[in-house]
Amino acid sequence: MINWGQVLFNSAVTGSLYLLAAVGLTLTYGLSKFPNFAHAEFMAFGAYAGYVVAEELHLGFQLSFLVAFLATAVLGAASYLLVFRPLSRRGASIIHLMVASIGLGFFVRHALQQIWGGAPLTFTVSWSCFDVGPVRITTLWLSLIGAALLMSVVMHLILTKTKVGKAIRASSSNPELALASGIDVEKIALITWMVGAALAGVGGLFRAADTRLVPLLGWEILLPAFAVVILGGIGSFYGALIAAYILGLAENLGVVLLVSLKLSTDYRLAIAFLILILTLIFKPSGFGKLFGEGIKPV
Amino acid sequence: MTTPPPKGIKTLAIWIVVILIVAAVAGVGGYYIGHSIGYDEGYKKGYETAKPAGPVLPEKIKIGSLMALSGFLGPMGQKIKLGVELAVKEINEHGGINGRPVELIMEDTGTNPTQALEAFKKLVEVDGVQVVIGPMASGEVMAIGDYANERHVVVISPSATSPEITTKFPDDYLFRTVGSDALQGKALAEIMLEKGFNKIAILVLNNAYGIGIEEKAKEVLGDKVILTIRYDPTKMDFRTELDQIKNSGADAVLYVGYYEDGRVMFRQALEMGLDNIQWVAAEGVYGESMFEVEEAAEFMSRAVMGTRPIAPTGIRGYQVFSEAFQKEFGEPPSMYADTAYDATMLAALAIAYAGEYNGTKIKDALTYVSQFYVGATGEKVFDKNGDQLTQFYEIWKVEKVNGEYKFVAIGTWPKTL
Repeated sequence: MINWGQVLFNSAVTGSLYLLAAVGLTLTYGLSKFPNFAHAEFMAFGAYAGYVVAEELHLGFQLSFLVAFLATAVLGAASYLLVFRPLSRRGASIIHLMVASIGLGFFVRHALQQIWGGAPLTFTVSWSCFDVGPVRITTLWLSLIGAALLMSVVMHLILTKTKVGKAIRASSSNPELALASGIDVEKIALITWMVGAALAGVGGLFRAADTRLVPLLGWEILLPAFAVVILGGIGSFYGALIAAYILGLAENLGVVLLVSLKLSTDYRLAIAFLILILTLIFKPSGFGKLFGEGIKPV
Repeated sequence: MTTPPPKGIKTLAIWIVVILIVAAVAGVGGYYIGHSIGYDEGYKKGYETAKPAGPVLPEKIKIGSLMALSGFLGPMGQKIKLGVELAVKEINEHGGINGRPVELIMEDTGTNPTQALEAFKKLVEVDGVQVVIGPMASGEVMAIGDYANERHVVVISPSATSPEITTKFPDDYLFRTVGSDALQGKALAEIMLEKGFNKIAILVLNNAYGIGIEEKAKEVLGDKVILTIRYDPTKMDFRTELDQIKNSGADAVLYVGYYEDGRVMFRQALEMGLDNIQWVAAEGVYGESMFEVEEAAEFMSRAVMGTRPIAPTGIRGYQVFSEAFQKEFGEPPSMYADTAYDATMLAALAIAYAGEYNGTKIKDALTYVSQFYVGATGEKVFDKNGDQLTQFYEIWKVEKVNGEYKFVAIGTWPKTL
């Protein structure tokens, strides 16, 4: 007998994590036109920043989220100002920028490893568990879903109601036209990098609290995060929103399916990637098109 | 023990480290290998049959070692390597092998079969090593198996337990000083039957270690197994897997995992409310590191018991080893430090008996001298496949006393030797 309520809830947990991990990636990809591999390290960095606050300074778990958000925003800004903007100004191609992002990732990851070591660290905060009908819920899982929901609403309001948000969308879909219309594209890019990194930091902290903290933390979810970006359409926030939950659902339904087929649940990600491949074949711009957003992956 | 899937991106970083590592441990000369444990009749007899020292042994005798010093088994490997180091130190203090000091060359496998193979090639091609202690994980041993056979290099693993090593590489250069999981799978299954469970869910790592135990246990449990799940240790999101067990109506879970995934698995199992059924686990989750996660420790004290290979209880060899280890490192030996020690001692004995630093000669000598060696973990006789003829298992559980968690022994399998 399968407890579908639980499977759906678990999918929401998985999807919320992927959403937080992917939003920054898709926005910076759309705006700066290259996949940022250091995004994985943004997640790990946020998690370590949160760890310092919650476990080393004992200032509480709630505050650690704020610090993770702010600290990773600073890292995102620094990455843009010190690495990616100078390179773009010198006419770096997508390959140059991508390799630079891998290099930046190495730098950040090994810096983290030097400071905290490679051994897994854990958060000592305990969550309370309770049952809603047949569904088992913990406060952590609920706050992860809550955070993703809150982020979605806030991002929606920013993108549709504020000047900055409209500028982000304009710069993403047509940088030249945006520039010609008087939008400071570089300033918009800086803001996007900060917000994107900050959300990744929060996502990383959730992942660390749910599992454990290692310098490679981000790489474990970078692959599904990229899948979300492609599936949702590069640069599309709303596409990513849908894609994250589709992927979460596919993975968890995948587990149920694989177990009943007596196959290893190792293949859960393969199911998600099958969806991705089919999307690339039949609808290369992802769901982004539905919202008039998204560009074809190069 | 076995290996999780490789983490590709880490390889480059680790390679840089590997290139930088040059380990050199040297000692002074003397005449024979001897150490405090060896002095029983069997050992002496084995020693006396050894051929006299020949000029064919090199000035320094290299013993290679492949240990998972980082990665999933890193915390365990850091402890196991001490067993090898202690043995080499004792050998050198007693004059090396036929007067030649032993040089230990240690390499990190990163708990990754690909990296293990690269490190093994380095030991063989660059250092010219003919005997290797390790690697720890079954997947790593199988990754280097073909190469070892091709280059005639003896490999003695202290902890690779997969039955697949026997079936894939019979009668060859691969040896191990721990029993095959053909035995542990049977032990786990028999313990579960004895406890009266008849709706059993099996939850194992999707690798040679996990699948090895799963298949052997199923031979004993038959149709009492109602659900089997092989999981990916890197996913760390086990809620839906656990929910499948919860809804299957199982009255017990047979579990095979490692520390890092095990801690997350147990924590999520506690959160999912799976502490109301009995979990019976293999030795991969035995160790104090499990208690670093409070929820995992709590879950274990509520619901987990398990097995682990040990030296037969009360044997003198283990006491002597344990005291020497404690004196050297200031801590009691961890699981598999003892089998690593025995593997190293057996390698040295075989080199002495072969009288020549040659893998083929050492291989033939190893099977022979093993009949006369009684070490930290008791008798270590190899069968023709390089497997242990016998293995003794402790049955353990976790107790919470005054807020402190600890492992306690509650029996053995078989009940008596």
